[in-house]
Amino acid sequence: MSTIRNVRDVVGVPTPLIDGIEKVKGQAQYTADLPAQGALVGRILRSPHAHARILRIDTAAARALPGVRAVVTGADCATTYGVLPIAMNEYPLARDVVRYRGEPVAAVAAIDAATAARALRLIRLEVEHLPAYFTADAARAPDAVALHDNKPGNIERAVHHRFGNVEEGFARADLVREQVYRCGEVAHAQMELNAALVDYDPARDHLTIWSTTQVPYYVHLMLARCLDMDMSRIRVIKPFVGGGFGARVEVLNFEIIAALLARAAGGKVALRLSREETFLTHRGRPETETRLKLGMTRAGKLTACACEVVQRGGAYAGYGVVTILYAGALLQGLYDIPAIAYDGYRVYANLPPCGAMRGHGSVDVRFAFEALLDRMAAEAGLDPFAVRRANLLAAPTQTQNGLRIESYGLDECLDWVERASGWRDRRGKLGTGRGLGMACSHYVSGAAKPIHWTGEPHAVVQLRLDFDGGITLLTGAADIGQGSSTLMAQAAAEILGVQLDRIRVVAADSMLTPKDNGSYSSRVTFMVGNATIDAARELRARLVAAAAEQLGAPAETIDCRHETFQAAGSDSPGLGFGEVARAALAREGGAITVKGSFTCPIEFQGGKHKGGAVGATMGFSYAAQVVEVAVDIDTGMVAVEKVWVAQDCGFAINPLAVEGQIQGAVWMGMGQAMGEETRYENGLAVHASLLDYRVPTILDSPPIVLHIVESLDPNGPFGAKEASEGALAGFLPALTNAIADAIGLRVDDLPVTPDRLLEALAKRRRERRLAASLAEVA
Amino acid sequence: MDGLPEFRVLTPRSVAAAVAAGARPGSRFVAGGTDLMANLRHGIGEPGTLIDLRDIPELHGIAAGPLGLSLGAAVRLAELAEHPAVAGPYPALAAAALAVGGPAHREAGTIGGNLCLDTRCLFYNRSAWWREANGYCMKHRGDICHVAPTGKRCHAAFSGDLAAPLLAHGAEVEIAGPHGLRRQPLGDLYAEDGAAHLLLAPGEFLLRVLVPPDPWPAAYAKARARGAIDFPLAGVAVALRLEGTGVTGLRVALTGTNSRPFLLAGTDALLGAPVDAGWRERLGKLVQKQVSPMRTTLLAAQYRRRVAAALAERLAGHLADAATP
Repeated sequence: MSTIRNVRDVVGVPTPLIDGIEKVKGQAQYTADLPAQGALVGRILRSPHAHARILRIDTAAARALPGVRAVVTGADCATTYGVLPIAMNEYPLARDVVRYRGEPVAAVAAIDAATAARALRLIRLEVEHLPAYFTADAARAPDAVALHDNKPGNIERAVHHRFGNVEEGFARADLVREQVYRCGEVAHAQMELNAALVDYDPARDHLTIWSTTQVPYYVHLMLARCLDMDMSRIRVIKPFVGGGFGARVEVLNFEIIAALLARAAGGKVALRLSREETFLTHRGRPETETRLKLGMTRAGKLTACACEVVQRGGAYAGYGVVTILYAGALLQGLYDIPAIAYDGYRVYANLPPCGAMRGHGSVDVRFAFEALLDRMAAEAGLDPFAVRRANLLAAPTQTQNGLRIESYGLDECLDWVERASGWRDRRGKLGTGRGLGMACSHYVSGAAKPIHWTGEPHAVVQLRLDFDGGITLLTGAADIGQGSSTLMAQAAAEILGVQLDRIRVVAADSMLTPKDNGSYSSRVTFMVGNATIDAARELRARLVAAAAEQLGAPAETIDCRHETFQAAGSDSPGLGFGEVARAALAREGGAITVKGSFTCPIEFQGGKHKGGAVGATMGFSYAAQVVEVAVDIDTGMVAVEKVWVAQDCGFAINPLAVEGQIQGAVWMGMGQAMGEETRYENGLAVHASLLDYRVPTILDSPPIVLHIVESLDPNGPFGAKEASEGALAGFLPALTNAIADAIGLRVDDLPVTPDRLLEALAKRRRERRLAASLAEVA
Repeated sequence: MDGLPEFRVLTPRSVAAAVAAGARPGSRFVAGGTDLMANLRHGIGEPGTLIDLRDIPELHGIAAGPLGLSLGAAVRLAELAEHPAVAGPYPALAAAALAVGGPAHREAGTIGGNLCLDTRCLFYNRSAWWREANGYCMKHRGDICHVAPTGKRCHAAFSGDLAAPLLAHGAEVEIAGPHGLRRQPLGDLYAEDGAAHLLLAPGEFLLRVLVPPDPWPAAYAKARARGAIDFPLAGVAVALRLEGTGVTGLRVALTGTNSRPFLLAGTDALLGAPVDAGWRERLGKLVQKQVSPMRTTLLAAQYRRRVAAALAERLAGHLADAATP
């Protein structure tokens, strides 16, 4: 599946995104930019209560207000939605009970924003308060009221996995250490605010939605379910999307609400959420407590790992089951660990629901793992690089939980960052308050088992060639800024031997493009990339057959490069693409449409244990990074001076986009490590603005020196694997390891805000004074 | 962020016209609007009339002379930071101007706006929905301070940067209003009450800021979580005069820690001695004692106390080092 020739003309070449010009010129139309003539303005009324039984919602006055065209409440949709078929427990508008402050309870569509706002103020909500829980501990207390009747103890899912002999592993270790790590909850802070435009045609009972989604197909499924409409009557279009990072990998309440409003109003509704509302819709990475115990030999070889993870998941299930399974599954696949015990608890709390976020499930646990590894390496007198090298895997292999690893470039990543950062010469010699830290991380290239099992392939791509000679690539894959449309165009152009701009990508419009599961779990490059190659090979075969007839040469001798078809060893100038295309169209009886697909073989779909499908993938990306910091112990400020990162992405189909993705991942990890954190006051979000949710500014952003490692995965498209998530998790521990190197202080709680660091330093001084005075007494 | 309420905008071209416009009930003065507009979108205040002061010539211009600096209240922060009469002799003032927000804020925001900035709080700078869900607060529509529920006043923090260096330089302000012009020390503009921190009578607005000549060497430092955008968790300006190795003049001003910016009291006790470790520690203790940060920011109040002291000590040290050949 990898290559059909060694020389590559289009893939592997740094290529500006094919839709970049519109974005740079401000011409790209995002959902809120779409023409909305005659559209009503939608607004959502949100619960001020954290946990309460709804006694009555009185909408009479709002309905009577002139200019109001529709008012909907939980009474208008009695169907739950959710991304996992086993855990759909959310209504688009609360029914009976509200479970977090900010949960939608009603919505209006009116002729303008002022009328909509007035209408919201006229709606009366009567409730009976219930006890509310804002921490995992409080929600798990023995006498806590269950948020959901079928989930006693407020546990959405408890996972208990055992692989290998953990007791024996710890018994033969020379060094065993256990530590608790805490990571605050973080959000995606994607640039584009949530928005949906819905056009409902009452005469035909047809509904069209444009939305800020990563998963048009899941939106389609849930709209059909919640509106009880046949799927053929719904059309889902994804316009330009300004960032996803996992915030949009499931249908979100505002999308269903906009559709309910449009149908109730019998027309068009534009629903645009504020930054605060976008934060309240949430789906970010949960607050996580990780208790980790590792066993290690004197030489640094891991013998056993025991890990307990508690995630505060918010009020509804969302992706929660998957997140808590990922947290355990991705303990594996990076290093060779002979025995692993994992206990995970996904807990409900009266807060906005968490979901998937870049590095889904793996990040907070990877922080704990790499931080403890660093601590133990120091205690054992081993170099942090040496400890990693003592535990490398050798591909091809299979982990204890059934993860298949066919390519593995971690060793090369380690070598590069060690050399580039000057680790051996510079570490320990940087002066007061300065230090170097390192860590590794990995991530999947697409979840091998789809959430909705239909028996269809994982990905389908169509190519169409007609009289104009243009090749139209039809894909359901959602380009959300990561560059998937460019990547597919490159893959098709490479196989077909044509110019990149001969390929025109039409993406993510359910009326035109084949179904795609969406842009999540870094699946698009691997799966849709392979489907594109498959489709392009099919079209190529049709063109070559026509060329063979024209040239009078056997098809297997014909190649096409630079839009010229030529028989091997022939001196003739060959045939131009236009000539061959016309011949093929005549030969095939007009427009040619071909289909390519990709399916993950069953042996890649994970272990046999319960939950074993989560974490399974066809290829893991690998990353290593070194972070250099300067710590100001008077102000608690940490400055990241420089980052060196190497990532094995198999093969960089578009090195320019890969560089951007790796830098973005490192930078997003930096945000989580240093300042980003959601905060709630009695369940009310106090972080819900870009002033309080502190994404790093450009002044806080260090130079990121990067290197792409190409391990050429045997199953990846041209050898490629994922490139956008793998480097994120490593930043967090590399930072705290660097801080430890700089000032000898181990930070176990993230983010490392200056107030926390100063408090930790003050605590250390107190402890040292106490120890000194005790020593004096003794 | 919600939509803006409806209001009309007046653009007077003279001080007299602005004063007359300011007499209308329900009117508010505005210049850059970087602070006011965000609050209006949050439903904090619904002024029927905004009086844009930026077309009044007297509010513009930076002039340096034997009597010192005259700064028009509508001078933009970007202009202030770059002006040669400021950047050279008054580096602390230029540094404070550059520390405000991001480049776009500094292009719009003005000296007067920064000095008359509304106080800020975790429980106040929120959407209308949020504040209603939280039962409002003493500063707006409510009667409790969520920061100090048993207290009698609002603890919202003053968060302008410019006030600190201007206080350290002994600046005065000229105020226009229904009763004519008046001139007073900048410090007298402020009161330690988050809900009423500006001592301006109805219809009054800042006209000019006057900074005395021959300033002592001074520096400004701002504690914040990020390198830009953020308001000060604590802002410290130190002006320090050294003769030989002894300190003969010291003024320390603080912002971001209290409901008003203020000059540190009791600095006389530090005069006459060299700036050594012990001296710096005494200065730090003085700062720790007089600042009173409360839980108005996401970062801990105790941190703001500590970092204010650390920055004061550091700045004094740097100024002393720079003055010592």
